[in-house]
Amino acid sequence: MNVDRRCFIGSAAGMAATTGAAARCLWPKHSVSYRRPRSLVAILNAAEYSEKTEALLMDGLQLFRFNVLGKMVLLKPNLVEDLPGPVNTNANIIGAAARCFLRLGAARVAIGEGPGHQRDTELVIQAAGLKPHLAGRQIEFVDLNRDELARVKLKANYSGLGELWLPRTVLDSDFVVSMPKVKTHHWAGVTLSMKNMFGVVPGMKYGWPKNLLHWHGIHESILDICATVPIHFVIADGITAMEGNGPLQGAARELGRIVLADDPVAADATCARLMGFDPDRIQHLSEGGRFLGNLLADRITMLAERIEGPIRPFAVIPEFHYLLARTVP
Amino acid sequence: MIVYRSIHHNRSMNYVGPLQELRRRELPRGGWSFSGSPQMSLETTCLATFSVLAEQPSSAPHVVRPLLNAQFSGGSWPSFIGDGEPSWTTALAICVLNSANDSSGARERGLSWLLKTNGREANWFWRWKFKLADRAVRFDPDCYGWPWISGSASWVIPTAFSIIAIKQFTACNRSDLSERRIHLGVDMLLDRVCLGGGWNSGNSVVYGVPLRAHVESTAIALLALQGEERTPVIQASLGWLKQRSSNIESVESLSWCILSLFVYQEPVEHLKARLATLVGDGHDIRNNATLATAILALKCGEMIHPFEVLR
Repeated sequence: MNVDRRCFIGSAAGMAATTGAAARCLWPKHSVSYRRPRSLVAILNAAEYSEKTEALLMDGLQLFRFNVLGKMVLLKPNLVEDLPGPVNTNANIIGAAARCFLRLGAARVAIGEGPGHQRDTELVIQAAGLKPHLAGRQIEFVDLNRDELARVKLKANYSGLGELWLPRTVLDSDFVVSMPKVKTHHWAGVTLSMKNMFGVVPGMKYGWPKNLLHWHGIHESILDICATVPIHFVIADGITAMEGNGPLQGAARELGRIVLADDPVAADATCARLMGFDPDRIQHLSEGGRFLGNLLADRITMLAERIEGPIRPFAVIPEFHYLLARTVP
Repeated sequence: MIVYRSIHHNRSMNYVGPLQELRRRELPRGGWSFSGSPQMSLETTCLATFSVLAEQPSSAPHVVRPLLNAQFSGGSWPSFIGDGEPSWTTALAICVLNSANDSSGARERGLSWLLKTNGREANWFWRWKFKLADRAVRFDPDCYGWPWISGSASWVIPTAFSIIAIKQFTACNRSDLSERRIHLGVDMLLDRVCLGGGWNSGNSVVYGVPLRAHVESTAIALLALQGEERTPVIQASLGWLKQRSSNIESVESLSWCILSLFVYQEPVEHLKARLATLVGDGHDIRNNATLATAILALKCGEMIHPFEVLR
């Protein structure tokens, strides 16, 4: 059989492309799996932020079987900007969570955040009203934008970043609690416990905003970060949430819920359902459901209230209309 | 001409205690970390070096040595020691070496790197992407400046410090290239201004919704724009900063506010008095970069302003 040169080169190029595409599909993109047979989620009803929040939270936390005795607990709230409105995780919930974990035997509780836009972290803390919760207690705030850094090989490879410099405080923590504000997000669709972990990426290395993560893909970067810094627990502030053009310019939405979970994917899937979204349509959640936690409702045990969809789904900008669930659960 | 302006020094605005505290926190091998760690941060070291130089100009050879040691062979500086990548701190380091009148050649190498460095949208491919496909953020990609790190877009603060560094160092020997980069950077800052004045990190309007300005970005952008024509945009931004300065209770933002308003010959004594109260002896300010900036702000009028540009 005669094979001319053009035919040979064409065939070789075709085979190389096919092999490359196959390798890309078949090659595992993550070296870890945190998904368990079942995940636990508790939805707590809370109409407002008040002094009763701590008792409610303590009751909720005691529904779960985790042990923080003698451990270093890192609370990672979502503190973004010194803006009015439901932009930041409410300070009452952050303070209440910190006190609860100390009561549960944690050796140390640190609240850590690295705001993505505002360089003056102090301004954000002041605006969020966090200072009174730090004063006179064994609760310390760590500016993750300016902590000591260590270079870490990422445990997933969706973004192609390969490695990131991450704060020592995060890497040395025994128990990481992501505490997002339930919000829509004009780049990612939603910002919940997994997107909240962008805040552990240090501004002193990557700048304000952490633009490199955007260039490498927001969903992809979320997956890589959450694979590398596992979230052990979630406390999502959905009492007053945000809809529309979040995460900064959206409108307040009274959801009246705090969502607790021992799995970030299950937590975010539950929050998405409460927002009237189909979690499977949120890219980092559907992919995260393969190895970071449980996405499917039948693998999530609800410990407290049942999911009842909102009377009307959260408003989103037109680019994210596809997130809306066809039938509200 | 460098402007020394005499102001009435209020004894209560004592920066000696904070400066002693800052010097106490100097790392054993020189330089400063942000707060308590042994990892030298270039941003912190630059700001702290300014503070020390302002008090003891004769200490220049000793105090700039950690900076000189940290420079990469290509002329840039990293964000922190251990990091192998060039960063925006190169502009700050050049400003420090300008203050120290360093003659080691480090400034020339730094400037050469700075003039070659662009935000990612300087590449034609990304510029067209932003012009044709990606219009969520309102900006003109033809106006680009400097990134925080290689591979990211242009942002306000790195661009502002780069303009200051180039303006300072090339005051007497401006080349076509340095002039072009200064003008391009100034255009980029003016393009990214928020509606109503002031700057944030660099996204002024997203999905048609205007975002709010930040104090620190505004103050630093205005420092870069000193000497430029006082356009309505600059006037509005200055007005925004003055108005916002009346109720800032954060040491970092208030310090940058003072450093900027002073250059525009606005009254800052009342702001310095408030800053002095917030800073106290400096002991409670854990962030060394913030402490160093506060010392510079408290010394405003009694030193050569580190970010003043020769005209």
